[in-house]
Amino acid sequence: MRVSYEWLSDFVNLDGIGPKDASEVLTRLGLEVESLNVIDLSEIVVGKVLEQIPHPKSRNPLWVHQVDLGDRVEQIIAGAPNAIPGSLVPVALPGTTVPNGKLVKDLNIAGYKASGMLCSAEELLLGDDHSGILILEAGKPGDSLESVIPSQATMDIEVTSNRPDCMGHLGVARELAAGLDRPLKGDFMPAFTGTADPPGRDLVEVSIDEPDLCSRYIGGVIKGVKVGPSPGWLQRRLRACGVRPINNVVDITNYVLLEYAQPLHVFDVKKLGQGEGGLPEIHVRRAKAGERLRCLDGIERELTAEMLVIADAEKPVAIAGVIGGEDSAVTEATTDILLEAATFSGPSVRQTAREVGLRTEASARFEKGLPAELALAGARRAASLIAELAGGTVHREWADVYPRPQEPVRVRLRPARVDEVLGVHVPLEEAESILKRLNFHVRALEDGEWDVLPPVFRLDVTIPEDLVEEVGRVYGYDRVPPTLPGRRHDRWNPSVPSLGRRLDAAREVLAGAGFTETWNPALVSGRALENLRVAAHAMRVSNALSDDMDTLRTSLVPSLVDVVALNRDRGRSEVRVYEIASVFLAPVGDKTGQPEEPLRLCAVATCGAEADSGRKAFYAMKSVLDACLADLGAPICTYQRASAELFHPGRCAAVVIEGRQLGYMGELHPSVLAAAKLEGRMIAVEIDVEPVIEAAQIPRARPLPRFPAIERDLAVVVEDHVAAAALQAAIAEAAGEFLEQARAFDEYHGPQVPDGHKSIAFTLTFRSPERTLTDAEVDKVMADIRLSLEKRHRARFR
Amino acid sequence: MSASTELTKEALGAIAKAHSDSELETIALDYLGRKSGQVTRLLSGIGQLEPKKRAALGQAANEAKRTIEGALAARRAELEGARLADIAETEAIDITFPGAPLGRGHIHVLTQVQRQIETVLENLGYQVELGPEVETEWYNFEALNISAGHPARENWDSFYFTPELLLRAHTSPVQIRAMQRIKEPPIYIITPGRCYRRDAPEATRLPYFSQVEGLAVDRGLTVGDMKGTLLFMIQSLYGKERKVRVRPSYFPFTEPSFEFDVSCGICGGSGCKSCRHKGWLEVGGCGMVHPQVLRNGGIDPEHWNGYAWGFGIERMAMSKHNVDDIRLFYESDLRFLDQF
Ligand SMILES: [Zn+2]
Repeated sequence: MRVSYEWLSDFVNLDGIGPKDASEVLTRLGLEVESLNVIDLSEIVVGKVLEQIPHPKSRNPLWVHQVDLGDRVEQIIAGAPNAIPGSLVPVALPGTTVPNGKLVKDLNIAGYKASGMLCSAEELLLGDDHSGILILEAGKPGDSLESVIPSQATMDIEVTSNRPDCMGHLGVARELAAGLDRPLKGDFMPAFTGTADPPGRDLVEVSIDEPDLCSRYIGGVIKGVKVGPSPGWLQRRLRACGVRPINNVVDITNYVLLEYAQPLHVFDVKKLGQGEGGLPEIHVRRAKAGERLRCLDGIERELTAEMLVIADAEKPVAIAGVIGGEDSAVTEATTDILLEAATFSGPSVRQTAREVGLRTEASARFEKGLPAELALAGARRAASLIAELAGGTVHREWADVYPRPQEPVRVRLRPARVDEVLGVHVPLEEAESILKRLNFHVRALEDGEWDVLPPVFRLDVTIPEDLVEEVGRVYGYDRVPPTLPGRRHDRWNPSVPSLGRRLDAAREVLAGAGFTETWNPALVSGRALENLRVAAHAMRVSNALSDDMDTLRTSLVPSLVDVVALNRDRGRSEVRVYEIASVFLAPVGDKTGQPEEPLRLCAVATCGAEADSGRKAFYAMKSVLDACLADLGAPICTYQRASAELFHPGRCAAVVIEGRQLGYMGELHPSVLAAAKLEGRMIAVEIDVEPVIEAAQIPRARPLPRFPAIERDLAVVVEDHVAAAALQAAIAEAAGEFLEQARAFDEYHGPQVPDGHKSIAFTLTFRSPERTLTDAEVDKVMADIRLSLEKRHRARFR
Repeated sequence: MSASTELTKEALGAIAKAHSDSELETIALDYLGRKSGQVTRLLSGIGQLEPKKRAALGQAANEAKRTIEGALAARRAELEGARLADIAETEAIDITFPGAPLGRGHIHVLTQVQRQIETVLENLGYQVELGPEVETEWYNFEALNISAGHPARENWDSFYFTPELLLRAHTSPVQIRAMQRIKEPPIYIITPGRCYRRDAPEATRLPYFSQVEGLAVDRGLTVGDMKGTLLFMIQSLYGKERKVRVRPSYFPFTEPSFEFDVSCGICGGSGCKSCRHKGWLEVGGCGMVHPQVLRNGGIDPEHWNGYAWGFGIERMAMSKHNVDDIRLFYESDLRFLDQF
């Protein structure tokens, strides 16, 4: 909402309070001034044209003026011819910067000196007229232009949705007056000036079919108006607020909207269809299917039964609260008008405005929900302005259909509550004074409580806390000392580290292993998920912004593949990244319930294109995952051959802890990489982390061994299909109690082993907790192990 | 001159000429070796001597041994000193040559900032609460006094799956869930998490972002308590010179409601380009919990009251680390992420 400082000064004495001070006061009251724009006219002076001759030498049409500046006469050249002798004009002297940003200099034009510039309205930012020099209505040569036209200052205020009353200058001025503790000039409810016969209600027939959508409709008749341009001051105020002047009648409705926040509309009475009684009719009803209306913006719109319209006896003439129709509009030829001041339901106007794709100054106010009492105030204010500025005759006793009268709201307040909530002592008299300044009526009851009646334009105040807020914001929250809460609690919850913080142990392992954490959007392309065949549990947004963000991801892997692709495109080929985030899995069949949102850890690493490079990277990722799980305190996990979407069918493992499958690890399927246009190979792991945290245990210290260990290496040659884990299990079983650890450290294929075979090298560590083992003892165990491996896995030894 | 004196003299001469530890070792063995050292051998016939001579010989041999040992130690020290004396030249390296890159990864800057915020508030006794990102209409809107048709509703334009199910627009639903779960105050919680609003992506906002909200429900909480909590949080994160101001505003779920601003860290509040000459930076919203919201969480507003606040983690990270485009956080360009 754009507010003119000068307009505010109609209602509150702003002596000593500049635009910047006013902005600060309003911001502190809750009307945030987002920007302050000042048009400074103090440097521009009034000049009187004494002489005007055509430039004798210039080929372009130019005029040479002699201008009286009070204490001297200067020669000024201009292109526009309208500054005839005797005109009062705004003059910018050399060295001055004109409001539009132009710096004026001494010039010499074709041999003639030009000592300044005559300004147009556009150059002074007082309007968009650049056709000629602005001719002033009054002024004394040599005086500052400010003596004729006040400097303009406008503020862009963000009005919160609970305060539609502040979407007009009067409401803003009321706040300012309360904040400055200065009186507000003028009453909320102006006097009614209509006296002409017959009564207005006998000149038009008004009915409301939808009282839930329109709680009040005032239709006032004013006859004999002279439609023409508005006076300069009114045009200037409208322009300052970003509204283009049209004609005096329409301008006044806009003026009252900007002053009272009550939208108004005017119809040309003669263009309203008459009913059987011979009177023009106004029906507030829903549109009928197929009805259309050509609106004031020249666009013909199709109406639906959801929309509330103003109709005459036959057809819609306006979309209620949004925009009027062209056919019934006021024109130069209009003499008799019907002034509409109505109260429409907020949700209804919002929905209609959205459907017709038009948000107007009117709809923006109705949307917030306006009080019905405001309609009367706005109507009265407009009537007297029209009578004054357009010369109409206002008829008495207007049609005022008011099926849902506004109920007064009373709020009880225990005055001590103010101090209790704010945490500062506000003297009772001050609290009461603040409420009164804001037009609240305060009555102290016998029990000490206050019975408070908010003003009719404050529908937002309904509970005691609302009153505390009113007092607080005017008293000043800067005066509330900051404190920390503290009392003796006899109840508490023991502190537990958050899930995120517990997972930091894994983050540290990953950082050490060269993985960088990423945060990727959860909304991804549903099409991409389908192509990867991971869309079975996907949830699709019904009102997506675009199709690359229309579905919740069911796996973190595709996001991280995209991260690799992005970084590859930006010149980084080796990428190790991870993410910890939720995925979203709709229950199969029923997509209406809340999804499961398992928290997952996913890591990916690129590697070379050769098969062996992928194999090595697989085992490297295994080390990373094992370290993460170990540092999270989880028991040892096992890897079981598996197949899963996204993964290479021969290089994929299910990760299992205590019989519970956490997810998968493996090389990504070549088609996944191809879809992302990536070369080489990539290893990924994606697991649920909540089960890991659940299984986590506090690490217990083991006593350090007291006796030395004996290590033996064993190279086992077996057929390719035999798994290292199976050999390990066989070794453990055959070895008995002295085997402390059996670790596979090398896998070999090549000339040293037969075709279809591999050699796996183990380091075996033997130790007794009670004594030093002898070589002979270990030799015997080794023989047992060999025998067992030969028998169970047809192993040979190198 | 006795045999032992002769030996000693000879040994000392050899020691003086020795130039390495190994030479000294050989000398030590030659003279003092346990079985065949020359000093040891002096005593080989000692058993046959009469007691008096025996004592004299023993004494002389011991003295020779001590003298030689002393000389050995002194020469060792001398040689070591000479060796250390010129390592400044002999072992000098080019200390300007760079170390190899560590090849470590980085924890995301938003994780780091979120953790800092959590730590500060955990120090005040707040605990982290989490909740679902896909929420019901009731938890996301109704329970927070933002029913359908509410004029403020457009500030939370949301992504819907069904009319009943949407992506949460804030982490406030977690506050309601936490009140329902904990049931009896005191409740001091913070709710970090991802949120979604239907805003087209641009440099200052994204349709997805992360918030931290805080909620305190106790007896007799005040606006002053809320201000103090925010001030403690801001000063802990940004430094003690920072100021906080609360400005009246409007949210359906708090009454009174505020925006809270932090004094600009660049100009200190006097106004500069980066704060758009306001001297203050908008951080988030806050207020005293609306009694109806407490009731919706199952808390009796006759006995308890509360305050709550919320802000975007990205915005905190942006002002802390001088990031000018919010999209960088979610774009996952390692050149950006590896800076933190
Ligand atoms: Zn600044």
